[in-house]
Amino acid sequence: MRKVAIVEVQQTPGSESSLNLMEFTYKPVKELLDKVGMRRDEVDTYIAASSDVFHSGMSCANAFDFDAVGAFMKPASRQEADSMWAFHYGCLRIMSGHHDTALVVGLIKGSENADNDTITSCFADPFYLRPVGIQETTAAAMQMRVYLDRYGITEEQCARVVVKNLGNALYNPYAHIKKRVRVEDVLDSERICDPLKAMECAPKSDGVCAVFLASEEKAKKLTDKPVWLKGYGCAMDTFYLGDRDLLNTQLKTASKNAYSMAGIVDPKKEIDVAEICESYAYQELLWCEQLGLCGEGEGGRYMESGATQIEGPFPVNPSGGVLAMNPYIPRGLYRIAECALQIKGKAGEHQLDKKVKTALAHSAYGFAGQCHSVTILGS
Amino acid sequence: MGRAVAVIGTGQTKHGRRDDVCYPDLIREAVKAAMKDARIAPQDIDAVVYGSMPSMMEGVAFNHLYFSEALRSLGKPMLRSETCGSTGQSLAHTGYYWVAGGMAETVLVVGSEKQHEGDAQATMSTIPEPFLHRTIGGAPAAFSMQAREYMGHYKIDEDKAREAAAIISIDCHEGGYLNPYAHIKVRLSKKEVKEARVITYPVRLWDVCPSSDGACAVIMAAEERAKKICDRPAWIKGIGFRGEEYFMGDSSKAVWRSAIEASQEAYKQAGIKNPRKEIDVAEIYNPFTYQELMFLECLGFCPPGEAADHVIKGVFSPRGELACNPSGGVLCTNPIGATGLIRLAEAVLQVTGKAGPHQVDGARIAFSHAMGGAQQFNAVTIVSSEL
Repeated sequence: MRKVAIVEVQQTPGSESSLNLMEFTYKPVKELLDKVGMRRDEVDTYIAASSDVFHSGMSCANAFDFDAVGAFMKPASRQEADSMWAFHYGCLRIMSGHHDTALVVGLIKGSENADNDTITSCFADPFYLRPVGIQETTAAAMQMRVYLDRYGITEEQCARVVVKNLGNALYNPYAHIKKRVRVEDVLDSERICDPLKAMECAPKSDGVCAVFLASEEKAKKLTDKPVWLKGYGCAMDTFYLGDRDLLNTQLKTASKNAYSMAGIVDPKKEIDVAEICESYAYQELLWCEQLGLCGEGEGGRYMESGATQIEGPFPVNPSGGVLAMNPYIPRGLYRIAECALQIKGKAGEHQLDKKVKTALAHSAYGFAGQCHSVTILGS
Repeated sequence: MGRAVAVIGTGQTKHGRRDDVCYPDLIREAVKAAMKDARIAPQDIDAVVYGSMPSMMEGVAFNHLYFSEALRSLGKPMLRSETCGSTGQSLAHTGYYWVAGGMAETVLVVGSEKQHEGDAQATMSTIPEPFLHRTIGGAPAAFSMQAREYMGHYKIDEDKAREAAAIISIDCHEGGYLNPYAHIKVRLSKKEVKEARVITYPVRLWDVCPSSDGACAVIMAAEERAKKICDRPAWIKGIGFRGEEYFMGDSSKAVWRSAIEASQEAYKQAGIKNPRKEIDVAEIYNPFTYQELMFLECLGFCPPGEAADHVIKGVFSPRGELACNPSGGVLCTNPIGATGLIRLAEAVLQVTGKAGPHQVDGARIAFSHAMGGAQQFNAVTIVSSEL
């Protein structure tokens, strides 16, 4: 298996863009190519991540995206759904020895789409789940309710995640939501799906994230600070919520596989920072448990201990996370980009005040996190 | 390059109008058949690749979530590839890279569509963007224009092209008649084909593929495992994918650059210098007969502008020099998300001698292909009975 490195990354900020989808996509791709110092046709392969349902009303997203992604007449493919999968596919292409360089692009223009949950309700099958109104937010509310009931997690603990992450986002130029909030603001925001409050739910953002990958030999020529892929794990759960224990997720399997590939025994000690996909505030607490960072049911206290603060021993979402910036499809790639920037020491104002050698990026989607992916990156 | 990858099993559903099963059960049918063919159990699978056409086809988005049980993916990693009509071949490529890259030993690759649960042409008409392009409509319009462009470019006499297209239609429908999985089962006379009602001129009814329900599953394994558990693996020798610009009209589609470059890349990997001689059977993505003429040229099976002459001579008929679409091809069966993968499955059946009534005698090297997008994408996979 060949080693794979991230050479450079490029992100766009999340607020509504005036560019059309094609220009919006092309701009960061071109900026990334310029940063790496390569021409479009010199890149071996291109993988896009976009989605037919989150795609400004056009089907077969890859047809429209193809030019702007830079893939004209190059070996290429596309992942529908998760951009972390596109990252994985790009890595596989390099590992196989067929390609030495790969450009992975995740894209979405949320401002041209319907509300996220109008779309996520289409994930439901038409017979059992859709008629009763299951979509990501209603499913999440059920998961949160079980979480509060079983372990005595408090709503205040969940609200603190919002305060922390939006606080971090103030220093991230690519974040979408920028405001300082207090726990009371979160608790007083509208209950949109009990026990979920409006401010605990991720926004809908525009975003393109592009990541340039290379084989070991090539990466060393292109950058003096390559960020290496150390581990990857992904696992699917059952579709129907009633078939699973909502607090015992496949994130355990995904992270176990990623740790084992990276040779990590104690993630809490060996990993310096995590960018995780908390589409809903309580999920950051729950995912921390499932990642093995604290015991089951201890996510709330772990948060309160200050461990996950930007200056704490295990910072979680120094970028502000998905609560501050939620371009649905590329958000997994944004997690990877943020980890890469932290390792390179190029995160800017939200750069951690310590040496970052190993970072964890996580992505999740589907009802109550039906699918989880974990990527471990290292210096 | 990378590890050698083999296809160790394939499974297809009976294609057609499948009101007898729900969509997840359609997928189960193909997955079960592939596992039976490969003689392995779900726990032997390390990873799953799935794909279909856009969610508008059947009205369920991210349907790999809905199908997670049918795909036997619990606790396993997945990739969801989608590249429009070329999805099936892109799925095969994803599985190939997963094994070749060393991240999995055995991968289950599945493509599907259940087109009778939706409106395929309505979906297709949302591929063109809403301002300049959408009025073009669905696939028949775009591909009829391409047929006209092709005939004009090479100054091919319309009657000759019509004659060749009719032969392709008759050959394919004969193949479909023999193929136990095919959707359209009909034997046609030349008169019936030539006098069928016009869909979009010059394309007539029997020049067009059907809208099918169906799924296809293919199991791939790394060299060592394939040799251990499979008597007759089909080795993947070459893959190629190329795509062109989005806006139709920005370049000539009579000489289809992405088809040329995708196939050349696959030939290079497979060490094929003279495709017509070295390849024994080809499964070409032919939703429209006139397009097959163009493909025969762009894929390097005959010189540019001469496909009609060769077809009329019978070169590409089932018993011709290079048998094309003995399965009946896309013209008889088109569950779009599965179609490109069915081409590979059929190529595998041919080189492993398992094709049954439409077996091409002594086939060793087989070619599979798919096309997609707004005349945009072409993808190729070549398999061989020998490593």
